[in-house]
Amino acid sequence: MRDDLTQSSDATLVVAIGRWRDDALAEAYRRHGGAVYGLARRVVRDEGIAEEVVQEVFLRLWTSPDRFDPERGSLRTWLLAQAHGRSIDRLRSDGARRQREERDAKRTATAGYDLEREAMDLSVADRVNEVMSSLPTAERQALELAYFEGYTYREVAVILDTPEGTIKSRIRAGLKRLRVDLIDSETGQPWHHT
Amino acid sequence: MASHLTHSEIQELLGVYAIDAVDPDEALLIDEHLRTCPRCRAEVTDHREAAALLSFSGTSAPADLWGRIAADLEASPPPLDLSRARALRRTRLPRLSLVAAAAAVSVIGLLGAQVVQQGNRIDELSAVFDQTGLDQAAAAAAVDPEARTVTLESDDGSRVVRAIVLPNGQGYLVQANLPRLGAEQTYQLWGVMGAQTVSLGVLGEARSIVPFVASGPLTALAITAERSGGVIASTNAPLVQGFLSA
Repeated sequence: MRDDLTQSSDATLVVAIGRWRDDALAEAYRRHGGAVYGLARRVVRDEGIAEEVVQEVFLRLWTSPDRFDPERGSLRTWLLAQAHGRSIDRLRSDGARRQREERDAKRTATAGYDLEREAMDLSVADRVNEVMSSLPTAERQALELAYFEGYTYREVAVILDTPEGTIKSRIRAGLKRLRVDLIDSETGQPWHHT
Repeated sequence: MASHLTHSEIQELLGVYAIDAVDPDEALLIDEHLRTCPRCRAEVTDHREAAALLSFSGTSAPADLWGRIAADLEASPPPLDLSRARALRRTRLPRLSLVAAAAAVSVIGLLGAQVVQQGNRIDELSAVFDQTGLDQAAAAAAVDPEARTVTLESDDGSRVVRAIVLPNGQGYLVQANLPRLGAEQTYQLWGVMGAQTVSLGVLGEARSIVPFVASGPLTALAITAERSGGVIASTNAPLVQGFLSA
């Protein structure tokens, strides 16, 4: 009989996935699927493409679990990095960005960095929002354009009419500040299963 | 575009690299650097953890999305290419009998798995043990009437490893005299149990008898060459593989 994985650590889940246990993949999806989908949808702004990205990410975990190295961050961080990379690939290919921009032009109230609040645990989203608000505007803008809008730092430099070196520094500094305020503070990683 | 970046230039790019905001050629240069620089790897990990927090939205994935992923699992290529053994399993190969033996042997031969008939098996394995100094437990397994045996073979038949598996899952590889690997590599044994392919352990220094334990009913065994220490799931083709008949 299969053991219950709902209380297992993420690392244990990945080992079980390596042993072809689909219930372990299901548990990983239950824990992180929403975040992966939320990020993909935020970047590609298309529900269908976002769902394809989620499928790719979890199928990759299924076929190549050894690519996840627990010594290099949590499973959630790895899944989100995979999802972000694939979303950016989609965005940069086949004029997808232009389509997205056309859709965006029709919107009236989507600007800014407000995080979607569709479900539980709003306190974490609130805290992230709060820390983002506290970032210097220039750092926040550069981060948003690169991370959520999918622009390269060179493109961000053009958009903001700012030297490339400055953009690199702002994004690096912004990420460090987020880490200090969100991870090294009491907030920690609310989803991290150790 | 630069074909080389200094360490300092790479450090300046780590933030934008971590959030996929570099050009592809820069990404390649940084990838290469990260392979040998633990400090920069750690910084990228930190940046990605911070970025992951930005993703937190409490969003739920669509209710039917998992169903679609689950449906794709069966179609996904297995990390270990045991397709031939799996195909054999699906065909419900009849147990060898005198009547079926002739037909079955040709099928099994094509599939690289060879079931050894009980009478011959004991004699052959006893001979092996005599030559290797006799491992008592394996020898006992070899004469156990409940034991199953399998011959793991390479595609061209040049490599042969035999295994004995007892009903309780205890097994022994015999004649596991595969070529010596370099210090960076090890042989790893895999077992197919139902829909799962499970690591049964890495094989240590060359020994003629290697014990292993399977936690469920085995249908196939395979050996791959992996990096030292072994892997969770293999993407390498089996060097040898074989199917257990029943």
